[in-house]
Amino acid sequence: MTENLRDRGMDCALYSSYSSPIATVTLLEAAPAVSPALALTVAAAISAAGLAMLMQPGRRGLRLAGTVIGLAGFAMLMVEVLKRATAGAPEGGFPPVFPVIFGFLAMVGAVRMITSPRPVFAALYFILVVIATAGMFLLLGAEFMAFALVIVYAGAILITYMFVLMLAQQSPVAGEGDAWYDRVPREAISAVIVGFVMLATLGDAYFSPAAQRFRDDTSIVSARAGEQAAWQRLESMPKLLLETARKAEPKTAAVVSTNFDELSNRSKNATLKVTLDDGTTKDLAMDAALLPENSRQVGVDLVSRYPAGLEIAGVVLLMALFGAVILARKQIELGEDERRGIAGMRRLTVDGEAGGSR
Amino acid sequence: MSNMMAQTINTLAVTDAQTVNAALLVSAILFACGLIGFLSRRNMIIMFLCTELMFQAAALAMIAFGNIHHDISGQVFVIFILTVAAAEAALALGLVVLLYRRRETLDSEAWSELRETA
Repeated sequence: MTENLRDRGMDCALYSSYSSPIATVTLLEAAPAVSPALALTVAAAISAAGLAMLMQPGRRGLRLAGTVIGLAGFAMLMVEVLKRATAGAPEGGFPPVFPVIFGFLAMVGAVRMITSPRPVFAALYFILVVIATAGMFLLLGAEFMAFALVIVYAGAILITYMFVLMLAQQSPVAGEGDAWYDRVPREAISAVIVGFVMLATLGDAYFSPAAQRFRDDTSIVSARAGEQAAWQRLESMPKLLLETARKAEPKTAAVVSTNFDELSNRSKNATLKVTLDDGTTKDLAMDAALLPENSRQVGVDLVSRYPAGLEIAGVVLLMALFGAVILARKQIELGEDERRGIAGMRRLTVDGEAGGSR
Repeated sequence: MSNMMAQTINTLAVTDAQTVNAALLVSAILFACGLIGFLSRRNMIIMFLCTELMFQAAALAMIAFGNIHHDISGQVFVIFILTVAAAEAALALGLVVLLYRRRETLDSEAWSELRETA
């Protein structure tokens, strides 16, 4: 165990000696006076100032300046955050182009969404955010969720929003343009201040040196643990395990026993003892690449670890369905008398009529 | 050529700390934007759209942290977030249509008499 830990410690030292790619360190040098601890907060403040200027309706120059300042703030945030990530970067030093592009798209979409005076455009910008986030999911190795997000969010939820927008949108009066309540934000400055506090707090929580170190250590330590857990989940699904074993050895007839304990030792693989078609037994060393693909792993995890959550999700959806039906029913104005009639109570007025025939 | 492409894809698929950091930053920004939008917009539909934006940020953070811990549960939780978001959208939009029928406007200020007296 101690040997193992030392091994990891060496790994950490190896990773931390890696310097970040040159391409990411440009803008921060423009503001050398800011101490590193404050850099994120200052960048967040600059972005917030840009956003506050962007939210002033009708002043074109101010909005243009806000765009420039906001973009500068975003660039500073991104550069500072990338600079703090030193562990685990690939040796080739490939600059993280795609996270930056997707992050930029998501940011632009979100900002335009909350500043656009036209609700339909806001919904369309939200689709941009969804697609950029899906790209981010892909980069993080969550392929199934990326596609599910595009299908469910961009394909279903946003269409519902569009429907309601079309249904409830007032037709614009000629010469008046957008509705005033879409053009004029409410308490823009205070809202931006709240958002800035949120962003600064989250930034400090996510990217403080302690949090960063914890994250780097966790990432290195739990790499094997994650693989081990994935194999162990597979163990409870005999058919899938057999299928996986057949990927390594096509002639496998049955899996006799499994051994995933040695996975914590980084030089060892998971091993399966299997019987072949001709009756002989064989030990198979399983590589992590043989694990089922992402969508299958998500499915296995969902049904084996969170069956109760799955049921509750079903109940939540059912209740939402009932709630939506009840809300969407045509509301009939009933007097006190009719309500009492429906409830089967005695009527207050004495008019001789049988209840509810009116 | 295809070999080089495969190599590039491999390099990209290796999730390094920089990707995770960028994802966390984007999630923080999206959440802050959603919060600002919810507070400052008057259109009720946009306000609910902003809550969806915050859901989105939570999902992104969930996946990024799941990636750090090499645990697939982060992705499973996003399925639950998606469920709740769908349920919320159905209910919220039903409510918005109801409120719109009553006042013929999407302005949330139209309902400001619901607040306590200052």
